[in-house]
Amino acid sequence: MNENLLKGYSNNNQIWDEMFDSADIRPAYENFVSAIEDLSTEQMNHKDDLAKKLFMSQGITFTVYSSGEGIEKIFPFDIIPRIIKADEWNQIESGIKQRLKALNIFLKDIYHQQFIIKDGIIPGKLIYSCPNFLREMVNVDVPFDIYTHIAGIDLIRDDKGEFYVLEDNLRTPSGVSYMLENRGMTYRIFPDLLPRNNVRRVKDYPDLLLKNLMMLANSKSSFPTVVLLSPGIYNSAYFEHTSLARLMGIELVEGSDLVVDNHIVYMKTTKGLKQVDVIYRRVDDEFLDPLVFRSDSILGVSGIYSAYRKGNIAIVNAMGNGVADDKAVYAYVPDMIKYYLNEDPILKNVPTYQLAVPENRKMVFEKMNEMVIKRTNESGGYGMLIGNAATEEQMDAFKIAIEADPRNFIAQPIISLSSAPCYINGRLQPRRVDLRPFALYGPNGIDIVPGGLTRVALREGSLVVNSSQGGGSKDTWVLG
Amino acid sequence: MLSRVANSICWIARYMERTNGMLRLLRTNYISSQDEVADFSWHSVLRLYSDLPASQTEQIKNHSPKVLEHLILDTNNTASVCNNIYRSRENARAAQDHITKEVWQCLNDYHHLIRDQQVHNQIRYGDPVTAFDSLIQHGMLYYGTVDSTMARGEGFNYLNIGKFLERAILSADMLNIKLTEINHDIKQPSDTIEWRYLLYSLSGYELYLKTYQGKFETKNVVEQVLYEGNFPHSVLYCLQQLTRYFERLKEESLPDSYAEVEFLIGKTTNHVKYSNIENAGETAQQNFLQQIRNELFQIANAFNQFYFGNT
Repeated sequence: MNENLLKGYSNNNQIWDEMFDSADIRPAYENFVSAIEDLSTEQMNHKDDLAKKLFMSQGITFTVYSSGEGIEKIFPFDIIPRIIKADEWNQIESGIKQRLKALNIFLKDIYHQQFIIKDGIIPGKLIYSCPNFLREMVNVDVPFDIYTHIAGIDLIRDDKGEFYVLEDNLRTPSGVSYMLENRGMTYRIFPDLLPRNNVRRVKDYPDLLLKNLMMLANSKSSFPTVVLLSPGIYNSAYFEHTSLARLMGIELVEGSDLVVDNHIVYMKTTKGLKQVDVIYRRVDDEFLDPLVFRSDSILGVSGIYSAYRKGNIAIVNAMGNGVADDKAVYAYVPDMIKYYLNEDPILKNVPTYQLAVPENRKMVFEKMNEMVIKRTNESGGYGMLIGNAATEEQMDAFKIAIEADPRNFIAQPIISLSSAPCYINGRLQPRRVDLRPFALYGPNGIDIVPGGLTRVALREGSLVVNSSQGGGSKDTWVLG
Repeated sequence: MLSRVANSICWIARYMERTNGMLRLLRTNYISSQDEVADFSWHSVLRLYSDLPASQTEQIKNHSPKVLEHLILDTNNTASVCNNIYRSRENARAAQDHITKEVWQCLNDYHHLIRDQQVHNQIRYGDPVTAFDSLIQHGMLYYGTVDSTMARGEGFNYLNIGKFLERAILSADMLNIKLTEINHDIKQPSDTIEWRYLLYSLSGYELYLKTYQGKFETKNVVEQVLYEGNFPHSVLYCLQQLTRYFERLKEESLPDSYAEVEFLIGKTTNHVKYSNIENAGETAQQNFLQQIRNELFQIANAFNQFYFGNT
């Protein structure tokens, strides 16, 4: 056994470790560890280098534009997979399905009769004060009543190993291409290990997505034209847009490629205009139609909103989903599940305090060092304060901001994310991880490919896994 | 196919063809700077591929490593090789779902190759020919990858249209430069070494030797570069290939657009085919080459207008 590899792997007892149960290796990892424990440091380093080289030469990069020329960055990849047992996965899967079902009904309800407000489950004020609640969507019927076609639900694990939902991403969640590419790396780096461990496949994702997209147009055309709308090559997720378009064999379009005439959407081709039936858009709501939303948007298409209202085009995900993944509305998701489905939530919420409530504010201000405070409409790990790592000035600044606009803040107790081993500087070291499985909601129900994106906070001790803040990713194995 | 994508694909090929032409030209010039008199000047090349002010051109024109660095590696020089590769790759990024993964990876690798420190060192302090060879070889890899992986659809046709259009322009330009250097006097016995270099730059030297048995005459070189049907860099050959790939687009075209562009390509092809540059005078020659160039640009503009939706 290579002494260096596992030596000094110190996992803190306050934190759940994905691989170690105090000193023992958890059953899910046994096979994997026995395959790598005899590898020398050179062999491991070689694998690490191979991964970097493969990412670079395949152009699996995101581009940071400065001084006119793009700089290629690799989304950091850790070669040690994160492994999830079959029974854990079953719980995750049924929990996400349940949650998504409720959230989807919520969106239909909130944009139609609003029973949930009338029955006093959610205060109307909370909904109407949410900037992502789109009045333009009220009484708009969407195909098959599906709003959340593609969802990325962020899960974390506390010190007892219990899964919690941290965030629901119901707008344009990204990262699925890294789930697919990371798997493509693993079999190059660790030949034979995937079949030997009976790891379930993730590569069905594009097929499932395309099938759902085609079905959305079924009333209009027997050969529907499906396109993926991207903001263009300067978008940091552009690699994902191209790889999904390629994997599904659909056209990748930009706003300027589309035009609306008489409430029908067309794309401009070398052979004139061609009608489009379904748009998988990766452009945010507010940029989608300059006539209705932001008038300075050049990423969108003028008139697309009215074409949508007319039912001439299906847009995926629906507009206005932001009201359901607002961080203040998040606190009500367990109530929604109870209200709409009459079930108990399978996956727990992290306890969330709305700071618009004076008592909550008082309580949170008293023990701010034990809390994470988040702005309700920010993402990417921005606009947040982690109490135990913040300075007095930062806390005071937040207090002032909260008093000025309490609706826009929530507080949650600091949950210690679970850790997983990462290969850093020649040995395994624990780093904090989360998990984002991707769920596809189609006319035939919800599919979740077994896997997802495991994001890692590569900085020692950090709890922030976002790629914009020093995060990386791992391949995620779900065992069959 | 989307108009924007067709445009991007066409430019992938044009920038790659330009890169290849430029690398070969620079390679030949570099070699000739080595086996020739000390005052070898890069003036005419710099005029073509650099936007430096005259004073700076004067400073570096006799200093090969500086010239090469400027023409190949300088990101501030719009026409530099590394910018051409960069732009080809940016266009490929915008059309990634219409070229094969292999073609994309090839362009991506090319982009990384020209940023490779070893290549930079070879050009600056080492043996530039080694750098040229590896760069040119990667260009060849691109041609092969396109040929053996791309489906014979619209994308492939636009790649070829871009390639042959650009190549025709390059060949006409290079010929024009040389003829200007000898004042368009074809009948005058000229310094054969110059013509040899032109043929090297266009990969036509071996063919010339076989065809003309080593007899160097200006009019033969002009003949080969303009009219030779078996020479893949002759202007006529490029136009015939352009016609061939354009005709394949007929099914995917609006009839009016097709007619417009077909007219221009046909006119230019015939114009070249039924010309007689050998017996033309100096002015007529100059005008002829200039006119061919203009007509090639008109074809490019017609594609812009009728196929790529840029008016």
